[in-house]
Amino acid sequence: MLLHVNTSSGVPVYLQIESQVKHVVAAGAVKEGDALPSVRKMAAELRVNPNTVARAYQNLERDGVIRTVQGGGTYVANGHPGLLKSEKLRRLRPLARQLAVESSQLRVSSEETIKLVEDEISQLGGRK
Amino acid sequence: MTDTVISTQGLTKVYPDVRAVDGLDLKVPRGAVYGFLGRNGAGKTTTIRTLLGLARASGGTAQVLGLDIRKDTVEILRRTGFVPETKQLFDSLTTDQLIRFNRGYFPKWSAALAERYINLFEIPRKRPFGKLSLGNRTKVCHLLALCQGADLLILDEPTSGLDPVMVDLLMRVLIEDYVSEGRTVFVSSHHLSEVERIADWIGIIEGGKLLLETRLEDIRQNFRMVTASGEVASDVVAPNLVSKRRAEQFHRYLVSHEADDFVTRLRSQGMTVLEVSPVNLGEVFLGLAGKELPCIAGNPGVTRASA
Repeated sequence: MLLHVNTSSGVPVYLQIESQVKHVVAAGAVKEGDALPSVRKMAAELRVNPNTVARAYQNLERDGVIRTVQGGGTYVANGHPGLLKSEKLRRLRPLARQLAVESSQLRVSSEETIKLVEDEISQLGGRK
Repeated sequence: MTDTVISTQGLTKVYPDVRAVDGLDLKVPRGAVYGFLGRNGAGKTTTIRTLLGLARASGGTAQVLGLDIRKDTVEILRRTGFVPETKQLFDSLTTDQLIRFNRGYFPKWSAALAERYINLFEIPRKRPFGKLSLGNRTKVCHLLALCQGADLLILDEPTSGLDPVMVDLLMRVLIEDYVSEGRTVFVSSHHLSEVERIADWIGIIEGGKLLLETRLEDIRQNFRMVTASGEVASDVVAPNLVSKRRAEQFHRYLVSHEADDFVTRLRSQGMTVLEVSPVNLGEVFLGLAGKELPCIAGNPGVTRASA
């Protein structure tokens, strides 16, 4: 898995790792049951502190993206985050708000904005 | 075994002309990668030399690996891998000879690792140390420190003279062979971006005093830069305010926690808060150790000319 991190972006490194893993999973580049690099290997690859990777993995596991087998590595999970619908929507809302602000600023109609989101979802292609 | 690998209590080192270390209280947890940051002359190297017993403390106490720095220097040096700032060893000895010389002192010396690092770092084996470039001298110092099987590594400016490829390799080796093994790395540097990647704790020293010691995560989660505009009735004072700067009607405040409360306060004083943003290590460092200039909005001459 080829991830990259940027320490000057202001986005915490563990969040960068989380979102990139979510991206490759959502895009179908890795499938349920595929193994992920160990914390140690990923930390060495990225030249970041192992605690940072461990934290990203913990969050990804909590979100149901990956699962860790005791003493046996980390795998892509079945992708059903054990979250309530309301919690899922709560997490998406700030992103939606940001999109709404930007598109109104740029005078892009709401139909065109929704179309953009639909395009992005269909491009992911992986999980529905 | 304690959970603190290095701790100092009011550590002080006075030279005839300067208080190089001035009442330092450090706490380095076991397994941490601790970035010890400061400007040139802030007291980093003197602190390290005092910890290792290479300079005698003028006051205060300190323990390294649970050992007293005043009494147990030999044992501390035996159990600590040390890369000195000067990168000086015996000039007439080749890398191979230096390895033979060093391994006798360290029971846990690993010949296999030495072989691996020579190849990995492309270190010339048969050339006398004095004839090596600064980069290659740095690599030899690392090799000797890394192969002795120490539980603690103290690295003083570890990347001097190394090209970017070698810096990258060194980071990988440190993470793979040291940090992942739960061993402690204490690294003094002013290369903030390198430290920011691998460290989980940082201490910032200036004028021999510790200005900040915290988890790097704390900076990411709690520190915020608040930009505001307007006239301040009275000078803003708050316990969570780390530093402040102004350029004309704009003010920038670095706060260490509870940024929301601080913003509320500014608003109640009639100021307009323009932005609250997370900060990186560089901004915190400049906020604490940076110099206040009369004008920070670019080139003052240009600003004046266009105004």
